[in-house]
Amino acid sequence: MALPLQFKTSFLPLEINFLAENELITILPRVSMKSVELIGTNLPNLNAMRRQEIPLWLALILKAQDKCQIIPPIWLNVAYLKARYDEELEFPNRFSSLPWHWLELSKMLLTKASDDLTDAPHLIRSIIQDLREVRLVKSRKGLKELNEAYLQLDNLSLMEINEIRPYVAEVMDELKKLSDCVKKDDSMDMETNDYEEDENY
Amino acid sequence: MGNYYDLDDIIADNQKLPCKFNVTVPGLGYLEGNIGQPLDANTKLNLPLWLSSVLAICEVSQDSQTTFLDLIHPEFFNNKVINAIRANAVNIDLHSILPNYYKLCEKWCVMFSDVELIEVVSQMLKERSNEINDYGQNPKQISSMAGNKFLYSLDEFEKRLYKISTESHKLSKEWFHNQD
Repeated sequence: MALPLQFKTSFLPLEINFLAENELITILPRVSMKSVELIGTNLPNLNAMRRQEIPLWLALILKAQDKCQIIPPIWLNVAYLKARYDEELEFPNRFSSLPWHWLELSKMLLTKASDDLTDAPHLIRSIIQDLREVRLVKSRKGLKELNEAYLQLDNLSLMEINEIRPYVAEVMDELKKLSDCVKKDDSMDMETNDYEEDENY
Repeated sequence: MGNYYDLDDIIADNQKLPCKFNVTVPGLGYLEGNIGQPLDANTKLNLPLWLSSVLAICEVSQDSQTTFLDLIHPEFFNNKVINAIRANAVNIDLHSILPNYYKLCEKWCVMFSDVELIEVVSQMLKERSNEINDYGQNPKQISSMAGNKFLYSLDEFEKRLYKISTESHKLSKEWFHNQD
């Protein structure tokens, strides 16, 4: 296919951002609204000043029209993120547990609903930047142990995996091709395990 | 084996390998410049891989063991190169040794199953790909002297890897710093 290379090897960050918009988030509506039936998630009835979980994309639209207030997720504050950051430093061999979409959600909330956050946006932004960098360094260190069959990515989020995926997939492919050259006969029963990607941390 | 549409694969197939004829072939003398003459047994010639690999496997006739020719260990897989790779995989100029080193190594090892060579080359790939990824994360460094030299020493597969890795890191970084 005549797609550009980066479209073929992984998702674009924008596409992952789009996927993250379907995550549910709690809001405090200021208006009432009837439920809407959609092909994907149905939108529930909204009652003014009654907490409700709705997809993020809708929450952001309502927020832009000033019809709701977004309750930030429990992990999106300086104290929680700082604890995770300390954890990253304390255990150099594993990643701390953060939501699957933490980078995307935090970015969207910081840019479009910064007045609803509990802490000052610039503080959250800088701690998120720190977290991203420390995890990037760690994953780089982990990739030194790359081999042809096995890569464990515990606690890495979708965006972070997506960033290293093209590189990792390509190198593992080539390593596999190389090792297959010399073990032709006994490779048949090993083949079933090829799709599990793991890495030892 | 090999991807039909992969241009690098075709180029790798065209790499000339030294080989030695086991039989005298009438009329093939033009390969070494003697037009119309037979090609003598024990002549050494460089033939492309796609041709020599077949002739090295095919027996002359059904009941004889001799093949048309024997492949000679090529110089890019000899001890000197292997030792250089062992000593310092990152700084070796792979592109000038062979632009499709990994591809050719695969093809060679499928025929001769050279376990030691595969081990050395896999280790080299690990070390060099790490370096490639580091440059991919810091695109500014590649324009330095060392970076430039490293880029020119990459084999075709590694160049592709570098491109992919840089692109992916660039897109992520752009997305992360873009505030709208």
